[in-house]
Amino acid sequence: MSDPEYLALRNITIAYGKTVAVNDVSISVPQGELLALLGPSGCGKTTLMRAIAGLLPLTTGSIALNKRDITRVPANKREVGLVFQSYALFPHLSVFENVAFGLRLRKISGDQLQQRVDGAIAMVGLQGFERRLPKELSGGQQQRVALARSVVVRPSLLLLDEPLSNLDARLRLEMRSELHRLHRDLGVTMIYVTHDQTEALALADRIVVMRDGCVAQSGTPEDLYERPTSGFVARFMGFENILSVTPEGLAGEPGRLDAATSSVRDARALAWRPQNVVLGQGPFSGRVVGASYQGETTEYLIDSAAGMLKAQSPVVSQRFAPGDAINFDLPFDRAVKLAES
Amino acid sequence: MFADRRIGLALAAPALLFVGLAFLLPVGILLTEGLRTPAGWTLSRFTTFFTDPLALEVTFRTLRLGFGVTIMSAIIGYAVALAVIETGPGNRARMTALFILPLMISPVARTYAWIVLLGRTGLINKAVVGLGLSDEPLRLLFTETAVFIGLLQLFLPLMVLSLTSALENMPADVLPAARVLGAGWLTIFFRVILPLTREGLIVGGTLVFTGAVTAYITPAVLGGAKVLMLETLLYQRVSVANDIATASVIAAILIAMSIATHSLIRRITTRRRA
Amino acid sequence: MMRMLGFAALGLALIFLLGPFLIIAGAGFSSGDLLVFPPQGFSLRWYGAVFEIERFRESFVLSMQLAVGSTVLALLLGVPAAYAMARYQVPGGEWIRTIVTAPVIVPAIIAGLALLRYTVIPLGLPVMAALVLGHTALVAPYAVRVVTVSLTHLRPDVEEAAVLLGATRTGAFFKVVLPNIRNGMMAAFILGFITSFNQVPVSLFLTGPGVTTLPIDMLAAMEFVYDPSIAALSTLLALMSVSIVLIAERVLGLSRYV
Ligand SMILES: Nc1ncnc2c1ncn2[C@@H]1O[C@H](COP(=O)(O)OP(=O)(O)O)[C@@H](O)[C@H]1O
Ligand SMILES: [Mg+2]
Repeated sequence: MSDPEYLALRNITIAYGKTVAVNDVSISVPQGELLALLGPSGCGKTTLMRAIAGLLPLTTGSIALNKRDITRVPANKREVGLVFQSYALFPHLSVFENVAFGLRLRKISGDQLQQRVDGAIAMVGLQGFERRLPKELSGGQQQRVALARSVVVRPSLLLLDEPLSNLDARLRLEMRSELHRLHRDLGVTMIYVTHDQTEALALADRIVVMRDGCVAQSGTPEDLYERPTSGFVARFMGFENILSVTPEGLAGEPGRLDAATSSVRDARALAWRPQNVVLGQGPFSGRVVGASYQGETTEYLIDSAAGMLKAQSPVVSQRFAPGDAINFDLPFDRAVKLAES
Repeated sequence: MFADRRIGLALAAPALLFVGLAFLLPVGILLTEGLRTPAGWTLSRFTTFFTDPLALEVTFRTLRLGFGVTIMSAIIGYAVALAVIETGPGNRARMTALFILPLMISPVARTYAWIVLLGRTGLINKAVVGLGLSDEPLRLLFTETAVFIGLLQLFLPLMVLSLTSALENMPADVLPAARVLGAGWLTIFFRVILPLTREGLIVGGTLVFTGAVTAYITPAVLGGAKVLMLETLLYQRVSVANDIATASVIAAILIAMSIATHSLIRRITTRRRA
Repeated sequence: MMRMLGFAALGLALIFLLGPFLIIAGAGFSSGDLLVFPPQGFSLRWYGAVFEIERFRESFVLSMQLAVGSTVLALLLGVPAAYAMARYQVPGGEWIRTIVTAPVIVPAIIAGLALLRYTVIPLGLPVMAALVLGHTALVAPYAVRVVTVSLTHLRPDVEEAAVLLGATRTGAFFKVVLPNIRNGMMAAFILGFITSFNQVPVSLFLTGPGVTTLPIDMLAAMEFVYDPSIAALSTLLALMSVSIVLIAERVLGLSRYV
């Protein structure tokens, strides 16, 4: 039975001088889970990872790993691996020696060393590159070395800080599925930091969304994708049309919230994805101000009393041009209710 | 991991204490000697120094040589640096090495060569007498000219290196573009090259100037007691008369010049980075 | 036309800078007793004689010991300081840099005099100790500057990676930082060695009877030695510096650090 509180971050606050980078964050991670930490640049993800690894002291709060309080355990005794965004390979050591580094510190030598290093190198598919120096490798290969170097010492927890952000799009997809496989094969508990929601959705068992140093929402990928609770998370998940709800009804469109839709009256705002806006019919009216052809679909920008809205409709359906007056509908059964806008 | 400032301070402390105690403290005490008499603090040493004809002469000569060598090395330096740039990237590195080399050779050895060349029976006098330009050997050693030549040889490489790197950093197509526009070479130099390499000129100039005004070996060997500069005057006053007060005044003048020129360099280089 | 003038200037400048060495090198080959150029006859007599002159031998050895000792000391002080300033937000960091590099700004003769009067005499230090103090202070700024250049080429997170793999901070420094700044340290050593070995003004007041550095000894000898021995010695010293620098340039790319 896996421990649901294998890693427990309790009320963590981290400040650089007067700047509070992480503000009262509490997260629990079950053993073996792949947790994605998602948030825009500057929201404190790296800071939190460095603190978990022990590279940065907490201002307040505590960290427990496998039932042991490690808040004051020095970084080299934590058994926490971190894959840096920049890879941070040792420039003077070969691929083999980079991977062997942690094992040698653990006084592992001879056949056992050879075996474990070979195993790790094979796992990331770098056989034949053992003697190369880091500068003789491509970005993707360096990434694999960094990964092998971290997992070969069998850390209790593996942190990856935007590991794919320096790679090109194709390599990113390839590495993403390899990471998935790696997690499945090793069963190691992982926290995966990213600012890319598709990456988080594709990889994670669970996602924590951060905003300005705080946790904005956490849950399974489905939870977040289907049921964001705030405008911030909704926007991240592709709900680009967010209308706040006032006692009079929908902002800008009073009266549109009748008795039939009283179920949404308790929400602070409603949000729709562009593809859920119905064009050409409905009680709302506006004017098309932009249209961009995207292959399968066309994306429209509509100026209405409720504000600027984004709609997407299949190319095969009715076409509109900028300047056209247009009727549209925002079906309430496709809306998500937000507790804050 | 590097957040603990105390560790940083502890690592820097030995060097800090060493330089502070073994270097800055004694120099600081020396500087106060010129301001202190048994009767109390005074500026009288400075007024005495600047009314002493010999001291004034030496101060002016030091400045004259400093500026003279700087200007001459700038003129030669531009001609040489432009030629070095013209030799192309591969040769450029080799040429640069040729100008670094003399900097690594003992200044004593570098100065000594001029004795062989400029002495009464030296190469130049042999040529002068041999060609019948003069009946007897000219007095070339122990003149200001000899010191000037010696200093120029010592510090010219600094100017050449600094101008070469300034020219290298100039946008590659500036010169061809100016030529295409039909600009004469004087126009190109004053309108294009000089403004674009101003910083290199100032950095090189301050290095040459401070080097020249604080040189000891060259005036000692090629100038002797006749052509004193501030450093040789300081040495003479201390070793002959144990006159620490005057030494302190000279030290203050030299340090002030040095700090002024170095802070000029620092201002320029930090502005460039900003 | 301007091109021709430029190359002429380049040629003349090189002759002006390097020619005098050819002349003293040539004068050293003289077989006569007087320092003249062109040399009278040809022999290796004076190049050999230099090694026989007791005082030069002694001061050469002293200069060597002094240069090695003070450069090693300067590195021992300078490397941690450079490391601290490159990695830690040391309080008053700019001030520390200014203080540690101050010896470059103070003319060396003044440092020598001050050291003699206010440190060496009051503490009764032996001549060698006095010289080591002065030379170490002069070389330290070079050590700090060159090592700083090396350190900026190594990302700090490399050390953090080592620590996360189980190394102590000190272990990470010796296993990861040191191997990567080794070339910079060697470059600093060579520059420091040459600076110290050629240094005159700081030693001027600090040398004592019977204990003197080679350049000071040569300066003194110039007043009464008129034979080609000093020319031969100067040539040998120039050759020594040039070979050290050329080898270092080949192996380390020394000019990156100057
Ligand atoms: N060393 C530092 N000193 C001061 N502020 C910092 C430092 N590192 C990060 N910050 C600030 O802390 C906040 C969070 O940064 P970071 O954790 O790097 O965000 P992320 O990784 O999510 O992009 C940012 O506002 C950033 O400017
Ligand atoms: Mg980050």
